[in-house]
Amino acid sequence: MLGSRGRSRLADLKALADEELMELVHDGEVRAFEVVFDRHATVAFSLAYRMCGRRAAAEDIVQEAFLSLWRSSRAYDPARGSVRSWVLTVVHNRAIDALRRQGPRDRRDVPDDGIAERLAAPDRTDAEAERRDEARRVRTALDELPPDQRRVIELAYFHGFTHSEIAKMLDLPPGTVKGRMRLGLTKMRNVLSEVSV
Amino acid sequence: MSGGGGLRNGRECGEDAAAYVLGSLEPAEAEAFRRHLAGCTACQQDVAELEQVTGSLADATVRYEVPRDLRRRVLSEVRATPKARASRPARVRRPVVVWGGALAAAVVIVAVVLVVALGSGGSSSRTIQASTGSAELKIADGRADLIVRSLPHLSAGRIYEMWVQRGNATPTPTGTLFAVTSNGTAAVGVPGGVSGVSAVMVTQEPAGGTPAPTTAPVIVARLT
Repeated sequence: MLGSRGRSRLADLKALADEELMELVHDGEVRAFEVVFDRHATVAFSLAYRMCGRRAAAEDIVQEAFLSLWRSSRAYDPARGSVRSWVLTVVHNRAIDALRRQGPRDRRDVPDDGIAERLAAPDRTDAEAERRDEARRVRTALDELPPDQRRVIELAYFHGFTHSEIAKMLDLPPGTVKGRMRLGLTKMRNVLSEVSV
Repeated sequence: MSGGGGLRNGRECGEDAAAYVLGSLEPAEAEAFRRHLAGCTACQQDVAELEQVTGSLADATVRYEVPRDLRRRVLSEVRATPKARASRPARVRRPVVVWGGALAAAVVIVAVVLVVALGSGGSSSRTIQASTGSAELKIADGRADLIVRSLPHLSAGRIYEMWVQRGNATPTPTGTLFAVTSNGTAAVGVPGGVSGVSAVMVTQEPAGGTPAPTTAPVIVARLT
């Protein structure tokens, strides 16, 4: 249990921006790391689970991603992006590695969002509610893409297939696959920019 | 969005940017694109803009509660892993220094080779230092810290990754990824220390690291 000073310190840390917390993480402050973990672990675990479809594999990926953040906090450069995108990039790259080790058949069997094990995280704070709204906007932007563009993006990003594998799977020239990826991402970017204004 | 514009191998270079940010290029293609990216401002702009979208794709997933065991495991491991800091005073009682390495001033670096002669008297601490200020491996009280200097600053999407080798086995990832400061320095711990380790290595890898090295090491610290 935390004493009143401990609770006060935790409240102070929770008020800090990620970039400020990372300074403290770099100095070895475990509580600052806890705050970073609690802010970003849900989206990190959700992405890993969405990609791997296996709880144990997702846990391993997220554990290793956050331990990397702790051990290598100097690797974080605010000029290159947010802590959140750094963590998600690490999770995504490691999940792709895990998927590619499994082989294509297993990857196509990854369960969809409606799986029985789903544990919807509740909205506890305004910040989480805002993030859930943002998630809805991104899902809408993805869902509104033409199906052929959405499919190549999902196969690449969530299932870890290379463009060559997707081309073979869909019996398309590789250039067409790359073109659809580009068109889809560009449309999403335009839609998300409009919504954000 | 620029749409690229230059030519690479006879193709419009912008066509690979989307596949790159989705992690969908073949490994050799990704490596070639990274090299191209370093000198192509149009593709740099493309990648930066498209990465904003891929960064938001994670938001499109349904949320799952983080297992409590996972949080407990991560925090437990963190508490058991003290941070390495460049400013930490060396806790070295009886240093043994043997050096045999070089750092090329060229574009990409050459391996620094450190040969460590361990004392036979059971000393619990020793320091091995490179002569040219390129790398230093501090081993003290069962923990090891690698301090590098004058390494190149890597382009976006690239990171230094540390590996350990036991005997002649394939190097295994330590999970330690790091960037260097503007003057090329970094200080990182070797997770788990160097007991039973024959070499500590550093390679340049894609952000997020890889399970096996994809480039030749830029630092090789051999322990004998």
